[in-house]
Amino acid sequence: MSTSIPVIELSAVTKRFGRFNAVSDVTLGVSRGEVVGFVGANGAGKTTTISMLLGFLNASSGDVRLFGQMVRPANAHVSHRRIGYAAGDMELPGQLTGAQYLRLLRAAGSVEQERYDELIKRFSPQLGKKIQTLSRGNKQKIALVAAFLTDPEVIILDEPTSGLDPVMQETFLEMIRDCKRRGKTVFMSSHYLQEVMQVCDRVVLMSQGRIVEDVQTSQLLAMGGKQVSVTTGYRPTKPPKGAQEVFSEFADDVLHLSFVFKGDPGELQRWVAAIKQLRDIEISEYNLEEAFKSLYQPEATS
Amino acid sequence: MMRSVFAKTLYDKRSFMLGWGIGLAALGALMVSFYPAMHQDGTIDALVANMPEAFKGLIGNLEDLRSFDTYLASQLFDIRLTLIVGIMAIVLGLSLSVADEEKGELRTLLSLPLSRSRVVRQKWLGMVTVLLVTLLGLAAGIYGVMPFIDGASIEPQQMLRLFAMTALMMVACGTIPFAVGIATGKRALATGTAVLAIIGSFILSTFGQAVDWLTDYERLSLLHYFPAVEIVKGSIDLVDVAVLGGLTVLLLAVAFVRFRQRDVA
Repeated sequence: MSTSIPVIELSAVTKRFGRFNAVSDVTLGVSRGEVVGFVGANGAGKTTTISMLLGFLNASSGDVRLFGQMVRPANAHVSHRRIGYAAGDMELPGQLTGAQYLRLLRAAGSVEQERYDELIKRFSPQLGKKIQTLSRGNKQKIALVAAFLTDPEVIILDEPTSGLDPVMQETFLEMIRDCKRRGKTVFMSSHYLQEVMQVCDRVVLMSQGRIVEDVQTSQLLAMGGKQVSVTTGYRPTKPPKGAQEVFSEFADDVLHLSFVFKGDPGELQRWVAAIKQLRDIEISEYNLEEAFKSLYQPEATS
Repeated sequence: MMRSVFAKTLYDKRSFMLGWGIGLAALGALMVSFYPAMHQDGTIDALVANMPEAFKGLIGNLEDLRSFDTYLASQLFDIRLTLIVGIMAIVLGLSLSVADEEKGELRTLLSLPLSRSRVVRQKWLGMVTVLLVTLLGLAAGIYGVMPFIDGASIEPQQMLRLFAMTALMMVACGTIPFAVGIATGKRALATGTAVLAIIGSFILSTFGQAVDWLTDYERLSLLHYFPAVEIVKGSIDLVDVAVLGGLTVLLLAVAFVRFRQRDVA
């Protein structure tokens, strides 16, 4: 259940490293209770954006606010009392055991024993071994327990499921659903659209440091369509109106035509019926992953 | 036990403390046990008469070998310990600053509700504690062997002065790489500055007595403010305390200010 109170706000935020703009003019708001997925390819600027939210990095220009307060490295710890954070490549103190690390966290913030026990039961992390001896997945379990430990108002996650096995990924997604039911705000970056679509209300797509799409998950679901591949001996055959990602090739007196169609199915049916010298046709569901890819890599797919 | 960054630092560095503590204990014990062989009066008189002034900086003034307190101050504290402790302080200062940042552990710490000032403060206090514990190892080594060595005795006040100034110098040496590392996050800069300051000081002080044109620059050496033989003979010069203490405070202040503002990779 989301309300309009923004807990995360980025206004015209830019982050430059030398001459390179890692994040360019990003404006984004996340309301209390929203679960927002932050998706993009490697190097899109997701981690840099999250690093500014957490006060690890200064914005070169623009405002970064959490709970209405401007975030700066010097005061970021104030908002961290209300935030849980985990990253897929998070470097936990290797010399400590999982239990010792979680004890350090419990000393830094208030943690109820019941909450601690529940998380340990859910994620089953290996607490007795030194963190540096654990596998990536087991380290990640400890990072996730740490993120949820204080039952924070806002959970910020940077590719949280990398390294987790499918069972643990599902446990994590169930945890996010649980947070959503309890009105928590979640902002999570991911490479996996399916993962984001399963739990997020909204998906923000980043490419080359800019936000290129900011859509409700329901809208994204409607972006799916039909992948149509046709083989015909009639060379002048044209795709139907509104076809996307059209590919055509004429070889050995045969035209191979493929496209994505997101319009009225009746229209597609009429177009198929009108094809001359039809040799072969294949119509399949257009993968949402592909649909999403097309949003941020139009030059690669068109 | 693991309730603060300070406690975590001590826990992380427990092997370091043990290893360097044992090493310094061994050094102290060995240097005390060498004393009878070094202070045979007749030999020293002949050596003193023939030794060029230039060598004094390298091997110490042989006059100092006549009594145990000055022998210990010149041969252990002045010549050997400063270099060894300097290297130890560089290693420790770098590992608690840039190494933690390079590994990504600093970022993880900063994701907790801990202010940057608190993290720096507790890490620095951890560093100081580690250095002091290793210094206790040295004391254990010296006092462990002293009762068994003929003529090896030193007043507690003398020892206290030596250890107090050694501790101050160790902390200043450790603070250089730590503060530069914390302020910039740059390993090369932190290492370079520390090596220049600490190893440079050692070279400047040891060769300063032999090379004429270096004499004027000897005041730039950190070791100029740690005259071990003078400390054991008389009292602590407050100027030395002010310089070493002031340098430490200044570096820490810069580190605090810069770290509160800068990006953490």
